[in-house]
Amino acid sequence: MISVSHLSKRFRKTTAVNDLTFDVRPGVVTGFLGPNGSGKSTTMRLILGLDFASGGSATVNGQRYRDLVQPLREVGALLDAKAVHPGRSARQHLRALAASNRLATKRVDEVLELTGITSVADKKVGTFSMGMSQRLGIAAALLGDPGILLFDEPVNGLDPEGIRWIRDLFQSLAREGRTVFVSSHLMSEMALTAEQIIVIGRGRLITQGSVDELTAGAKDEVYVRARDARALEDALRAQAVAYRPEGPGFVVESLDAEAIGDLALAAGVALSTLTPQRASLEEVFMELTADSVEYSATASERP
Amino acid sequence: MSAKPTLVSVVHSEWIKFRSVRSSVTGVLLTLLLTIGLGALITSAVRSHWSQSSALRRATFDPVSTSLSGTLFAQFAVGVIGVLFITAEYSSGSIRTSLAAVPKRLHLVVAKAFIVALVVIVVAEVACFVTFVVGQTIFSGVVPTASLANGAVLRSVILAGVYLTLLSLVGMGLGLILRQSAASISVFTSLLLILPILTLLLPQSWQNALNRFEPSQLGQSMMSPTVTANTLSAWSALLILVLYTVVVVGVGAGMLERRDH
Ligand SMILES: Nc1ncnc2c1ncn2[C@@H]1O[C@H](COP(=O)(O)OP(=O)(O)OP(=O)(O)O)[C@@H](O)[C@H]1O
Ligand SMILES: [Mg+2]
Repeated sequence: MISVSHLSKRFRKTTAVNDLTFDVRPGVVTGFLGPNGSGKSTTMRLILGLDFASGGSATVNGQRYRDLVQPLREVGALLDAKAVHPGRSARQHLRALAASNRLATKRVDEVLELTGITSVADKKVGTFSMGMSQRLGIAAALLGDPGILLFDEPVNGLDPEGIRWIRDLFQSLAREGRTVFVSSHLMSEMALTAEQIIVIGRGRLITQGSVDELTAGAKDEVYVRARDARALEDALRAQAVAYRPEGPGFVVESLDAEAIGDLALAAGVALSTLTPQRASLEEVFMELTADSVEYSATASERP
Repeated sequence: MSAKPTLVSVVHSEWIKFRSVRSSVTGVLLTLLLTIGLGALITSAVRSHWSQSSALRRATFDPVSTSLSGTLFAQFAVGVIGVLFITAEYSSGSIRTSLAAVPKRLHLVVAKAFIVALVVIVVAEVACFVTFVVGQTIFSGVVPTASLANGAVLRSVILAGVYLTLLSLVGMGLGLILRQSAASISVFTSLLLILPILTLLLPQSWQNALNRFEPSQLGQSMMSPTVTANTLSAWSALLILVLYTVVVVGVGAGMLERRDH
């Protein structure tokens, strides 16, 4: 269990994290979503006691991270896969980590095996590809067999097979009852991996809930099309229905498919397409964070 | 329930880190090579020019510190060992992994300092004793020699190794403060080389009063069996260098403790 309560972090000019409160529960994968610069990495560093909070608190299993006696047994984290001395071998890196927390040396072999990098364990980390580095980072996080795992953008730079591997790993870790907290700026990725989602923008909590809850909150729309588009539009307008043109048809925002069918029949318009559409998680995300995107493409056009 | 990690486990971890990178090994070899190799070169040069040396030169000649001259070069190697042991963690970013594994940041500093000091004192003492013996062997028959049977001579050789050890810790402290290899090595080098040149700008009386406190001059005092004018005794010099080291490492540790990573 990770608990974040009124957490804030100000750097000189920027407020990276702003009064953030959420819990991350064990047993499910929790996605931590936000656009670039929204404060995901900073929040993770605050949880790990690497940065000092300007206000509020973050605890793991009810304790401040810095008070943990054997941190690697309770929390495993992957912040930056490339953050390993390039001249050291993977095995030496893991051995040093294991020694610091008095973990059995055989755990090193186990996590190397688990992440599939046994064959390159004695190579210098500097020669590793991004995928191998990510696996080493995950091996390091799993070293102490911790109940809580944090991963900052773990799929960055991975090929589709690597992404699937990571997704399956996270889900099996969660099934074992662990707390799995994964950040990403890609909603589509999280929709496939995570059950719970926490969305932040500009350091503030935007929303949290299960994937189903988040998409349920989104408005359902119906795509409708008729050979006689003019007649259909007149019918919609006559009933004061909210719609917008899209391609050869219209997206109706305020009626369900059945009501639109009735409306068309009454107006004598033959429909050629009538498709309900549920907003995808990606669209929900875009909508939710639209106001809080730090570096949007249009930002430079504003005066 | 497994055994709780202690400072000893952190020291063990830092030892694995130290010996698993090439720069540490290079630094150690360089320390041996510079101390012993240049010591042999310098003592040979002294021997071959001895017959033409002036009476003053002969009267003030110190076979002990002369045979230890290689430390003037090795001091940069040990400084770099100390600097890189810290700054490599920052340049690679592994400092975050290290601090996540050891949230008690002072434990990390103590463990790193212990490993650096232990490695350097062993290597430096070996180097200093070897270069002393080699130097006296080269001198023998032509140039006056010194013997380890003399307490002051023994002390000088031992303190030469201690001097190098303290300097490696100063390097480590600078690494903690500056976090960058190039900046830390530049400052370290400046303290040893530029500081003496800067004091030349001061009036002579100030120079006489202050020169003795420069790190490199403290080293000379520590490895000379006799006290000369305007210098400190070996033990006072040691005390002051320990003080400098404690201040630099202390400031570095304080900054590590307070900084965001
Ligand atoms: N050490 C720091 N000093 C100053 N500002 C910082 C520091 N770290 C982060 N910031 C700022 O805080 C904000 C949040 O950054 P953070 O890296 O936490 O975002 P993020 O959500 O992880 O972004 P991304 O998706 O790009 O990784 C940004 O505006 C960033 O510039
Ligand atoms: Mg980030």
